Amino acid sequence: MAAKQNSGNNKLAMTILKGRTFIVLIILLIFFSITADNFMSAGALLTVAKHVALYGILAIGMTYVIITGGIDLSVGSVAGLAGMIAGGLIQEGLTLKMFGVTLYFSVPMIVLITVLLGALMGMLNGIVITKFNVAPFIATLGTMYIWRGFANIRSNGATFSELAGSEGLGNTGFEVFGRNLGGTAIPCGVLILAIIAVVAGLILKKTPFGWHVLSIGGNEKASKLSGIKVDRVKIWVYAFSGFCSAVVGIIATSQLVSATPKTGESWEMNAIAASVLGGTSMAVGVGTVGGTIVGAFVIGVINDGMTMCGVTEFWQKIIRGLVIIIAVIIDQVQRNLQAKMALQARNENK
Amino acid sequence: MKGFKKVLAMLLAVAMVAAMVMGCSSGGGDAEEEKTEEKTEAEAPEGEEESGSDEVLKGGGSNIMYVITPSVSNPAFKAEADTATAKAKELGYEVKAVSHDDDPTKQTELFDSAIADKAAAIICDNAGADATVEAVKKARDAGIPTFLIDREINAEGVAISQIVANNYQGAKAIAEKFVEAMGEKGKYVELLGKESDTNAGVRSSAFHEVVDQYPDMEMVAQQTANWEKTEAYDKMEAMLQANPDIEGVMCGNDTMLEGVCAALQAAKKNLPVIGVDGSDEAAALIKSGDATGTALQQFAVIAETAVVQADKYLKEGSTGADEKQLIDCIAITSENVDKLSGFVFTE
Repeated sequence: MAAKQNSGNNKLAMTILKGRTFIVLIILLIFFSITADNFMSAGALLTVAKHVALYGILAIGMTYVIITGGIDLSVGSVAGLAGMIAGGLIQEGLTLKMFGVTLYFSVPMIVLITVLLGALMGMLNGIVITKFNVAPFIATLGTMYIWRGFANIRSNGATFSELAGSEGLGNTGFEVFGRNLGGTAIPCGVLILAIIAVVAGLILKKTPFGWHVLSIGGNEKASKLSGIKVDRVKIWVYAFSGFCSAVVGIIATSQLVSATPKTGESWEMNAIAASVLGGTSMAVGVGTVGGTIVGAFVIGVINDGMTMCGVTEFWQKIIRGLVIIIAVIIDQVQRNLQAKMALQARNENK
Repeated sequence: MKGFKKVLAMLLAVAMVAAMVMGCSSGGGDAEEEKTEEKTEAEAPEGEEESGSDEVLKGGGSNIMYVITPSVSNPAFKAEADTATAKAKELGYEVKAVSHDDDPTKQTELFDSAIADKAAAIICDNAGADATVEAVKKARDAGIPTFLIDREINAEGVAISQIVANNYQGAKAIAEKFVEAMGEKGKYVELLGKESDTNAGVRSSAFHEVVDQYPDMEMVAQQTANWEKTEAYDKMEAMLQANPDIEGVMCGNDTMLEGVCAALQAAKKNLPVIGVDGSDEAAALIKSGDATGTALQQFAVIAETAVVQADKYLKEGSTGADEKQLIDCIAITSENVDKLSGFVFTE
């Protein structure tokens, strides 16, 4: 009975939390539409969405990870390395020294290889964390450096700049992920964000796997005792985060039609911020994909809105920081309130 | 799990043995070399060395030249590091090329390693005009001469040479081409480099010294993109939304120019865009007509000059040149872009 009530209250709390970020988003939109000319136009909002897509996708993976009580600092580096892998495969192909041949893949193949490798990198995080009992913060801090290092080694620090491919090699079309969908004004990245968000949201809410993720976040020991394969679930969660990062690496590289090893540096911070703004909590193990997307948009609107009104970078940083802290403070206040209300309700029932 | 542990143990053992073998062989050689060199140094009268700041630094004792640069993921710094390394090797030095990633703390650590390594000389593209002074002084106290390239520090008489590109002259030269390409009128935006970096300010004020003479040129937005490509891309898109009638873009460096050109291509626009650096990527954009021009900082020439002067100084006790030296930039446009490759301009 108590458990049922709790989940009911949690649900209520979640809707309020989600609403809170949404209110902030609307206030920001109104504010910038007054202060910046042209902000309230389809073009400008699509531009914001296009920029949001990058760390929004990272943040979806991050949300899963944070719900299980972990953190993934390596997402930016995986994105960078994924970009370098994809860029390298287009420009240089895959040289097999023992056979003395260089293989060139088609763009869909390259994307498939890249996202699989990204998932594998994430999986490695999960294995180190679960099988070797390394704290997620430490494990992913380690891999953050490792993947960034490999990204630099791949090209010896240089940039792959010819990513248009060539007809002869049959690997043209890579730039499509950074452009708008054929004939429309919708950036491809936004569509990818939408697809991943819907799928990830449904999995979290409607499938046993999603319930397991939430259950681990709520109480890992109890989950283990109730027969959930905690380690396996966690490994898949990190693999999913790696997959998301690789997708972001591909989109970012495609936008610039060049792959630099610096891609994604410190993007993990934006991803964490978006997740946290969206109401994901490391301590309690709650979070929704929808909330995260709203959080990502809050950050995106702040970034582009301030740029459009001509606020300097220094103030942008300060304001971004303030918004994150204030959001979490409100989060805490509301949580306490919720807990109090739940307690009262229970006492009254007795 | 058991099998896995065995494999892990074996791998570790192999790695340890390998490390020991490698460590011994190289370490042993160095130690011998150092001993002989120390002897020769000990023979030199010590009293003389400590007097006054005009003393000639003999180097730490070894034959190692340290090349310290910002992250080589920027092609300009890569060219710098590669040229310095090649030239130093050619002159018979052992080279250790390392990167401070624009982190002054890391740079100090690298200077400490160089001192511990008894480096003969340090070639450094520094991580901060003020933050670097102490590190260079420390090297000087250890008898190691430092030759600064690309960026100056806020102290004289500490480093032996400070060889930098004439950012001011270069930015002015390319700004002239920008004004020309815009037909002396129209709205433009500017992307600044990292605001804590002196070059960002110097380049911007040189741009404006030229452009502001034309009353019909109007700057509608100015943003920093921290020398970064992705940031420039995002900021350019946002600025295009705010001011759809932009007719030109000035960028503080070529990496930002690349981001801007990508954003303009995505928006199907072709506007005059200028940068500073002279990277191969910018050259390609100039060739394809997407960018107007860039000011080539002759990184390779600067790095090579520094190494040659270091060698001369170690052998003769003087570089034969002033401490502060400016190397002129070359304005690169579609007319002369074919002569540019790898930061080297061949007439």
